[in-house]
Amino acid sequence: MNFDRLFEKAKAAGIEDIQVYFSGGTQFDVNVLNQLLEKYTIADTARLSVKGIFNKKMGTVTTEIINEDVFDFIIESIISSANNIDSEDEVFIYAGDKEYPEVKGLFNEDLETVSVKKKLDDTFELERLTMNADERMKMVQAYYFEGKTNVLIQNSKGLKLEKTVNSAAFYVNAIATDGEDQRTAFELSFNNDYSDFNIQELAKRAAKNATALLGAKPCDSGEYEIVLTSDASTALLQPFSGMFSAESVQKGLSLIADKVDQKIANSNITLVDDPFKAKSPRSGSFDDEGVATTYKELIKDGVLTGFLHNLKTAKIANTKSTGNATNSGVAASNLYIQPGSLSYDDAVASMKKGLVITDLAGTHAGANSVSGDFSLQAAGFLVEDGKILSPVALITVAGNYLDLLQNVTGVCNDLEFNHAFIGSPSLRIKSLVVSGK
Amino acid sequence: MLDKLVIKNVLNAALTTNADFAEVFIEDKFQTDAMMLSNKVERVNNSRDFGIGVRVAKGYQSVYGYTNSSKEEDLVKLATDLAQSFPGESLEINFELEEMKVGNAHKFRLLPSEVSIEDKIVVMKRANKAARDYSEEISQVNVRFADYVQKVWIANTEGTYVHDIRVRTRLSIASVAANEITKQTGFYGPGGLWGFEFYSDVINVEDVAKEASRIAVTMLHAEECPSGKMPVVIDNGFGGVIFHEAVGHSLEATSVAKGASVFSGKKGEKIASELVTAIDDGTIQNGWGSATYDDEGNLQTRRVLIKDGILNSFMIDKLNAKRMNDACTNSGRRESYRYAPTSRMSNTYIANGSSTFDEIIAATEYGLYAKKMGGGSVNPATGDFNFSVSEGYIIRNGKIAEPVRGAALVGTGREALLKVDMVGNNLKTEQGMCGSSSGSIPADVGQPTIRVSEITVGGRKGAN
Repeated sequence: MNFDRLFEKAKAAGIEDIQVYFSGGTQFDVNVLNQLLEKYTIADTARLSVKGIFNKKMGTVTTEIINEDVFDFIIESIISSANNIDSEDEVFIYAGDKEYPEVKGLFNEDLETVSVKKKLDDTFELERLTMNADERMKMVQAYYFEGKTNVLIQNSKGLKLEKTVNSAAFYVNAIATDGEDQRTAFELSFNNDYSDFNIQELAKRAAKNATALLGAKPCDSGEYEIVLTSDASTALLQPFSGMFSAESVQKGLSLIADKVDQKIANSNITLVDDPFKAKSPRSGSFDDEGVATTYKELIKDGVLTGFLHNLKTAKIANTKSTGNATNSGVAASNLYIQPGSLSYDDAVASMKKGLVITDLAGTHAGANSVSGDFSLQAAGFLVEDGKILSPVALITVAGNYLDLLQNVTGVCNDLEFNHAFIGSPSLRIKSLVVSGK
Repeated sequence: MLDKLVIKNVLNAALTTNADFAEVFIEDKFQTDAMMLSNKVERVNNSRDFGIGVRVAKGYQSVYGYTNSSKEEDLVKLATDLAQSFPGESLEINFELEEMKVGNAHKFRLLPSEVSIEDKIVVMKRANKAARDYSEEISQVNVRFADYVQKVWIANTEGTYVHDIRVRTRLSIASVAANEITKQTGFYGPGGLWGFEFYSDVINVEDVAKEASRIAVTMLHAEECPSGKMPVVIDNGFGGVIFHEAVGHSLEATSVAKGASVFSGKKGEKIASELVTAIDDGTIQNGWGSATYDDEGNLQTRRVLIKDGILNSFMIDKLNAKRMNDACTNSGRRESYRYAPTSRMSNTYIANGSSTFDEIIAATEYGLYAKKMGGGSVNPATGDFNFSVSEGYIIRNGKIAEPVRGAALVGTGREALLKVDMVGNNLKTEQGMCGSSSGSIPADVGQPTIRVSEITVGGRKGAN
């Protein structure tokens, strides 16, 4: 698609500068249940987000109809949007950086050469292996997802940047039963290198985690020493990740707004935003404003070093953009707590009386990103004298995320990322309030 | 819009192999979103979504594809590609597309696409001012405005051919109250299947905004909630989220048909206290989750899910009806053309009982009064639910006492339903967005004030 005509029309209408963000791609996903194809979806879509500066305000519009017929709609919408914005923040269309870092492994051609049949066969195999891994398995759904996205940013200041990323994932949803109790597990594996997938290992892990909690009951209420597994710690980090955005800080919505250079976590905690992580669709050499991306340690040995910025927040804070702009604001790329040296088994073995939390549910509602408070449904295992005693479910753990970060007594070496590319190793926590029976 | 002949050609292309059903879903949506923060309008965005979804099925097995292209050749290719999933001879199904015209069951006066952005901004500014004027402790207010006109055309090889227009609007206010110690939030977000007349005929913008600030300020002065098992009085309106999460999802064919729900095979059995009658009604006049047709082109309807504690009906879409060998309840819904439809709730609520609100509080010696609920989630396989209480109070000696914050309720749907021991007579429904396998869709939740004799309450204060 040639946007020169749009840029010309915009200029004639009085739009100072204009930028298009085109995102198009294909998607393929399948779902297997009881050795039958439950879902099979193919898609080919594109979306155009356009922004333009009119009377010093940034107007925006989005369209899925992408042809010359919508140019007038785009221009009218940008002008009416800009006319109604009264934020006085300075707005930018970016001319570009001198250099952009090279990011490897964003696109893997081999992923497309593996046949659809092979991918389907492997999904069927994942379901079969998980189902057969334990006689208590009741139902298993296996999934494969694959996507390819092309991004083009082009503006009237001469900037033109393009990238293509692809990614794939196998995941499995397993239900186990012992006749009375029923428990579930959800396991996933992300990659864009097909040969790296290990279906056997994924099946084994799903069956193990689904059966492990069978017969789980609430434990006594009280304060417990806690090991949050990598999954649970990641699920908890996700709703609180917004506090590291300069946008939240400037809107008065971040708990740590005035805490730069202060200790906000135990000195064993380092929190990283890494846009260069290989095989992640969130990686790249430029952000949605066209600014070069950077590697950052947001918390370094427990000390808050700064926030994530786009051009607008950076201007307000009198600093440089960190290359974390998204079309809707500011966000991390691949955000994770750096792994330590403790093994998960040693962390569990070190607890005299405690709880291993493997699952946290309802983080979208029970974790308040503004106050840092959380109170969440949890499941896991009761530990006594370093030994796993019994499975526990239908309890809540409650606390405040900043207190929790201060009270991390051990950081494990088992970093894993979730589907949103937020990651954490397992963490041992001094104590949390547990409500059970 | 596509020509009827093009739609027919696409459907026929989908039937060239052994498939026995095909469907085309066309969507054209115009939406305005605007956001106000720190007293300033920060964002105004128009968006135009257009796409087509094609579904091909044999029995209850289906494949789905979608694209933004409206070119006949692209759509025929998509349908032909999808058809390859069902190898074999064509079943030679003949059908005619005869448009069903029943007229829109819901009346709109002011179409969002015909109201100026300036007028919409005025509504936001009124809300912002009222929310801030409520108290000096209000430190931040975020106002969001959204409205859209979604036009859909649905056609299938059984001869269904319908057109529906869904006009929805919603105003959401999130207030933050702050002191030296903490920040607390309050949220209120009413909406409906209405045009812009919603803001003059249906709600009072200032009252809505004040409500969000009232919750934030109340919670600022609240103590941490104690934890433990206790009776919980859940208030009317959004309190219905407990039923939605803990029971509603487990009554959707999506989980029932696969045998994944705790309620699979339990039709006709007692699953709730005899005080509980629950309904899913997609025909409520201008209801947030209502529409003339569902997203499979069937007329929306009213379903009695539970009658006096007995499981009466599931919510079932077309394909799951075949799998379950049960009747379709016209419950197929989807967020957009990007999703194949599946069984979903519309406006789901517990029906009125006979107790008054005052009677329920007076009958409770000690417990939690959950006046406003936040969100929650449920695992349909286990029925385990959790949800947060956004405004809570301790009940002591039959009276509402001090406010408490940070409470979470956890339990299983089955148990909670059986433990409902009082149902009020003040039914109210409120608006939410419901996420599931066919995307995020508008859905009303609702109930009168109810009491559950025992729920596990989690809070930071610890056990009493």
